[in-house]
Amino acid sequence: MIRVFQCEDTLTGILTGVYDAWDSRLGHEHVRLSTVCDGNLELFCEYVQTEPDTEKAEKVIRTIKRRMGEEAFEMIAYAASYPDDQKADAIYRMIVTGLHLPDGRQITGMLTHPQVRLVFELRRKAWHIAHRYMGFVRFRELENGVLFSEIDGEADVLALIAPHFADRLPLENWAVYDHRRQKAAVHISGKGWMILEDVDKEQLLEPGASAQEAEYEALWKVFHRAIGIQERTNGRLQMSLLPRKFRQFMNEFSCPEGRADRP
Amino acid sequence: MKYRIEQQMDLREKLGILADAAKYDVACTSSGVERKNTGYGVGNCIAPGICHSFSADGRCISLLKILFTNECIFDCKYCINRRSNDVPRASFTPQEVCDLVMGFYRRNYIEGLFLSSGILVSPDATMELLYQTLYKLRREYHFQGYIHVKAIPGADPVLIERTGYLADRMSVNLELPTAEGLRALAPQKQRPKMLAPIRQVYSERQQNRQELALYRHAPKFVPAGQSTQMIIGASGESDWQIMKVAEHMYRKYEMKRVFYSAFLRVNEDRLLPVLPGGPPLLREHRLYQADWLLRFYGFGTEELLSEDRPDFNLLLDPKCDWALRHLEQFPVEVMRADYHTLLRVPGIGYRSAGRIVRARRLGTLDYENLKKMGVVLKRAVYFITCGGKQMYPVKLQEDYILRNLMDGKEKLPAGARDTSGYEQLSLFDDPRFSV
Repeated sequence: MIRVFQCEDTLTGILTGVYDAWDSRLGHEHVRLSTVCDGNLELFCEYVQTEPDTEKAEKVIRTIKRRMGEEAFEMIAYAASYPDDQKADAIYRMIVTGLHLPDGRQITGMLTHPQVRLVFELRRKAWHIAHRYMGFVRFRELENGVLFSEIDGEADVLALIAPHFADRLPLENWAVYDHRRQKAAVHISGKGWMILEDVDKEQLLEPGASAQEAEYEALWKVFHRAIGIQERTNGRLQMSLLPRKFRQFMNEFSCPEGRADRP
Repeated sequence: MKYRIEQQMDLREKLGILADAAKYDVACTSSGVERKNTGYGVGNCIAPGICHSFSADGRCISLLKILFTNECIFDCKYCINRRSNDVPRASFTPQEVCDLVMGFYRRNYIEGLFLSSGILVSPDATMELLYQTLYKLRREYHFQGYIHVKAIPGADPVLIERTGYLADRMSVNLELPTAEGLRALAPQKQRPKMLAPIRQVYSERQQNRQELALYRHAPKFVPAGQSTQMIIGASGESDWQIMKVAEHMYRKYEMKRVFYSAFLRVNEDRLLPVLPGGPPLLREHRLYQADWLLRFYGFGTEELLSEDRPDFNLLLDPKCDWALRHLEQFPVEVMRADYHTLLRVPGIGYRSAGRIVRARRLGTLDYENLKKMGVVLKRAVYFITCGGKQMYPVKLQEDYILRNLMDGKEKLPAGARDTSGYEQLSLFDDPRFSV
């Protein structure tokens, strides 16, 4: 009989699952973690719901950082943000293996282990998305001075990019809205940032764009067009480096006629 | 007919002209410096750099790349902004540049500023203007993002020094790899004069390193290092000469980057070559590949090229080309070879080499693992064994490997691929038949 711990699809949720699974003392081969609950149940399994618990997650984080190092924790945090059915279990196995190594820090390089490799791959994917959004986010200035932008990423990268923007624009009020998850990272001038769930986008956008906004957008479009070299035009290269899925909220590609990306 | 003698330009027009004039500068990197925000002001830098958009030619847009002015007293043959060209001229004011940078940066359009300039009145006057702009940006607007600025050859060393403390990266473009080329195409520029600021930035960076070792909070001088740029294919140099210059720049002046820009014929001039096939983009690509081999893979120019083989093989990347000429060093055993040997295997990059070295301490590798780690087996398979075995039987023969490597997806000039002389027969597309 295998006990499957179903946890919420967040870092806190998964790490709570890790805590509970370990704490159940059934032996690692008798437990499994899962983030999906689509009603597709397996035979000879017992399903247990785990409620996300910050305290338990904190404990696990502390152990990971102490025994396996910051890098391993970063790897887990990034991997947890990428949608994948196997990730919760892979993270659990990685932690189990890491804590049994004489030097837990080596776990991040242990790519011969299939589950560690999965976590590694997910980390890489999530990092690519997060890193791209650090560049591709476009803020619009609203009448009340708030900088507002939207993203729509496969991975839940809000918490990964928010620290970057908080450091970059410490004196601004800004918000990054996740279109897919109706969440927003919100930063208040001179203070920290936080993540708000179930955000009403229309309410945030209430004040409307500021007076200068249109002018800067136009200037940016002028610049974007002027900087390309005609003789070297290479639409495929541009498309592979900046795929269409990222262009949705980028103003240099939005144009009343549509195809602003084509010269 | 309408004459426009003098008319106030608006910012949009100016930006259009001065960004257009700056587009031939290749460097748009924002990497090499890690800096947190101080808590007041705007901006930070992260070491890998960030690309904020990509232009229609597929190049990254990271910095607001503009000329301060495109008025110039020089008359370099290859340059669109040369004195004798009749192009619309414009100049920014420091205030305008600051407004643009701050406006764009807040909206996350850019990572910082790339400021170059034509020579207005004199090198000193131009450098002074660049300095003023940077000073305003750093001290009045507390801008802490990335700034790349040109050092103007011939400007007062004091001005260059002061500017260097405000900028992250400085660069002087060598433009042409040899002094003869420079004499022919840019008669007003002299090689020693162009090297002077490079040498100055280098020695002051050395000095600054000492200061920083003593005083952690001493101001940093050009923390992201310097870079330069060469035009490829304008004056008949061989790849050997170009790579020699690049290697010299890396070794002697600790350059962070040397950029190569395929020559574009923007001016009609009898001294400039006519390139019917468009700019030599593939040659430029090969030079960049070789440049990486110099910087990250421990290769030297002598190994890749020689005086009797002065140009790269356009059909094959330099690393494969090298490996094919040194088959006696292969195959390499992945489980045992040291890091530097792994680096020389085609298909293994410096990241995957690092991963292999870490992973094999904790377990045995197989081809499946190698593939997942990012090794390009398509190329590597001819040169490695893993656990004493080849992935599948391959012959360690030059022409066999060459034929298989050229089967790849890389875009090559038409007709280059069928070196073997074999091809699929077809009734309708005879290559010799043309309408």
